Amino acid sequence: MSNVAVSEEQTSIVERPEKKAPLGPLFWICVGWIALNFLGAIFANVLPLQNPLYQDYASINVGPSLHHLFGTDDIGRDIFSRIVYGSRVSIAVGFGAMFIGFGIGTPLGMLAAYRRGRFDTIMTSFMYILLAFPAIIATIAILSFWTPRSLLKIIIVIGFASVPLVYRVIRTATLAVSTKDYIIAAKVQGATDRRILLKELLPNIAPIGVSFLLIGVATVIALEGTLAFLGLSVSPPTPSWGNMINESRTVLQVNPWLAIFPSLALCLFLLSLNFIGDRLRNHFDVTEVKL
Amino acid sequence: MVRYVIRRILMLIGIVFIISVGSFYLIHLLPGNITTIIEGPGASPANQAKLYKLLGLDRPIYEQYFVWLGNVLHGNLGTSFISQESVASTIRAALPIDLEMIFISQVLAFAAAIPMAMRSARKPDGIIDRIFGAGSFTLLSVPPFIVIILLVLFISIKLGIPHTGVSTYVAFTSDWIANLESMALPAVTLAIGSFVVYFRVLRSDLIATLQEEFITMARSKGISQRRIMWRHAFRPSSVALLGAAGVNIGGLLAGGFVVQFLLAIPGLGYTLIAAINQNDYLLVQGIVFVVSVGVVLINFIFDFIINIVDPRISRE
Amino acid sequence: MSDAVHELLVVKDLSTTFTTMGGPLPAVSDVSFTLARNETIGIVGESGSGKTVLSRTIMGLQPRTNVTVTGSVLLNGNEMVGATESFKRALWGTEVAMVFQDPMTSLNPVMRVGKQIDESLRVRLGMSKQDAKTRAIELLELVGIPSPAQRYMAYPGQLSGGMRQRVVIAIALAGSPKLLMADEPTTGLDVTIQAQILNLLDDLKDRLKMSVVLVTHDLGVVATRTSRIVVMYAGRIVEIGSTRDVFSRHRMPYTRALLDSSPKVSNASHTRLVAIPGRPPNLLQLSAGCSFAPRCSFATDKCHKERPELQAADEPGHAFACWNPLPTTMEQQS
Repeated sequence: MSNVAVSEEQTSIVERPEKKAPLGPLFWICVGWIALNFLGAIFANVLPLQNPLYQDYASINVGPSLHHLFGTDDIGRDIFSRIVYGSRVSIAVGFGAMFIGFGIGTPLGMLAAYRRGRFDTIMTSFMYILLAFPAIIATIAILSFWTPRSLLKIIIVIGFASVPLVYRVIRTATLAVSTKDYIIAAKVQGATDRRILLKELLPNIAPIGVSFLLIGVATVIALEGTLAFLGLSVSPPTPSWGNMINESRTVLQVNPWLAIFPSLALCLFLLSLNFIGDRLRNHFDVTEVKL
Repeated sequence: MVRYVIRRILMLIGIVFIISVGSFYLIHLLPGNITTIIEGPGASPANQAKLYKLLGLDRPIYEQYFVWLGNVLHGNLGTSFISQESVASTIRAALPIDLEMIFISQVLAFAAAIPMAMRSARKPDGIIDRIFGAGSFTLLSVPPFIVIILLVLFISIKLGIPHTGVSTYVAFTSDWIANLESMALPAVTLAIGSFVVYFRVLRSDLIATLQEEFITMARSKGISQRRIMWRHAFRPSSVALLGAAGVNIGGLLAGGFVVQFLLAIPGLGYTLIAAINQNDYLLVQGIVFVVSVGVVLINFIFDFIINIVDPRISRE
Repeated sequence: MSDAVHELLVVKDLSTTFTTMGGPLPAVSDVSFTLARNETIGIVGESGSGKTVLSRTIMGLQPRTNVTVTGSVLLNGNEMVGATESFKRALWGTEVAMVFQDPMTSLNPVMRVGKQIDESLRVRLGMSKQDAKTRAIELLELVGIPSPAQRYMAYPGQLSGGMRQRVVIAIALAGSPKLLMADEPTTGLDVTIQAQILNLLDDLKDRLKMSVVLVTHDLGVVATRTSRIVVMYAGRIVEIGSTRDVFSRHRMPYTRALLDSSPKVSNASHTRLVAIPGRPPNLLQLSAGCSFAPRCSFATDKCHKERPELQAADEPGHAFACWNPLPTTMEQQS
């Protein structure tokens, strides 16, 4: 392995800074934006917002003004208030579904990678077959047959559909970590499996898990928007970002604000999530674990 | 190589088998009497009896499956009780639209992503790389339905490009100019999503490849930068790109419905959504089966291409 | 300036400094030596001594960013330091070529080996496709590859390490270079293959009238194949001289240590090799004194405080950098 030593001589000192990539101010702006959205979703009832369902026929399709920050929609509802309330659906679906996906996928993936053997073989083949199915079609098919639709059902269906993906990521990450010397050392010292899994492996795959989780949340939120377009998400008049954008289609020429503001809310939220996820991944330098 | 291909084909057959079981069961998972589910509560007893016989519902479930599988293998996916048309012929009419849409979008996506990734990777963290990187990252967070809305809002309405209504879709064979016009918006929308993925994957792999010793070796031969990028760096960096393309194109086949639904392009996705709304379960079942098999086939084909591009893989 | 006519390569005060997060890293400092036509010179040092960076800097192959090169490299009269990439490109392959150290990583894994040889011939020498193929197969034969016409079509992964290194040599020879830089050409190979490759290089050098710079960490490799040896430590030349002088009349304790640490046939069996204590210094934190002082048993206070410059030894062309050189009377080793 002398080649390794010499190639280090040329490259490692030059191109591989030992320091972790800094998170940067943009990272914290994104974190702040997500936090702000969370606060808005939680305290929507308490905040001095107009009723998101109240139809003010006196002001229909009006542009942004002091009274209606983002204007009103085609039946006179306040867009700003609907966006704040709508974030509840996106946040609930995104984080709820990932809670289920990671809740099931993480322990299975870690166990499979740690135990290897037959459990791993069976589990992994099973998950890979599930992955072969186009999850999006399965999601749509199930949601369209499973009526009446509710937020909880959407969360459950998407959550379960994400399990194979989460499983694959976690298993790959755990495999990469479990061959490291400190894990082997822990095993040799007679640490219990439970201890190794929870105290050694889990903290080490957490960075990968968290960054994938955030990107997963973003994907699920976009998926909820898609479902809304197909009429498969929460039913109107409950506002969700997807619903609002969908409703805007018919009045696009008359009232572009109805499309632009919810789109902006959705895109900024997704952008922040993706950015945080990406930065964390760079920060913990987990790119070599191919996900 | 041969052994590898045989193994992959066996796996493929296995997965298609499982998909067929899944698709078959889709209908049986629904609560209630299957004939009522399929034909709706208002169906006539004669039709119900016909369906009962067709599905072989009097026989055990595994026999029903084999009856169904036999029909499928003969290209018979059943006849929709809603439209009275054969499911297979409905799919045959819609599928080419998907394929055309995907084909155009992929040509656009690759045509933009490859040169841009090449440019970016030559000077990582340079100005151009930063601009491309920030741009692609932003696009990554814009879901296709918003892209469509924005395209319609800012381009289509202004320029008068057709953007909605089944009537605007024209088959390629009848008027190819009008066909391409109606394809422009959906193809561009899909291309943007694909471009982002391809650009990012190829860029990061190119940067890694350019660190390799064989690139320094190629440089030491005195050949041009351009030649190094295209002849030496591109091919070894394209494995992940092809993998991503396989997954992505499969995803477009399965997820193309958003664009089709919004722009009223009567492809498979549009047909699927319409079938779901009309409770046309046989058509749903048929499309789910065909699309699933299609996705698996596309992945298989791309795996195969990857093996040709990088001979290291099949040896491992 | 008559040097430039007689000598193929004149390196003068060459320094290569990398810009890193930890500050400037002097990988090569103030290196000067010359190389005559048809001569072989050995550059010897531990890994981390800067010999690989030196060989790349001589060729102008250093990375394009975060590096500063000063001094002068005259290659057949062409100044390489500060030259543009396109100027250097015109020299690469035809004036100077490099045999890389690890044939596992230096060949493009997804390109047939024949194509990799063809490339230089077609792009650099403007040969036709057919001529290039004929010539490439000749080159494969020249470097001792059996059934070259078939190997022409092989991918690197289908060849053994020794075969791959022969291919690397064939590629380097394709442009008939006047100077061949061989950077640890045998490190990645089995011991039995090592000798074959080295003999091949030696043989080719005479047949093709090339000069060779042979970079290695193994003094055994250079003993019989070079006329002169440069010993490097921490990016500097610490001893330079004819091969015979360096082996038998070396003055620098580091050279002695290197010699003691390499196995010799004359040793009785089970002789314990003398390892050099300590590790090579961190180039980011070099002391003002001799870099070898912390590991040197002869080191004095002066060694730690003041860096010794190269000084001439008794023999012509022999120089060393040491405050407390080994006595000249020591006629060591066989």
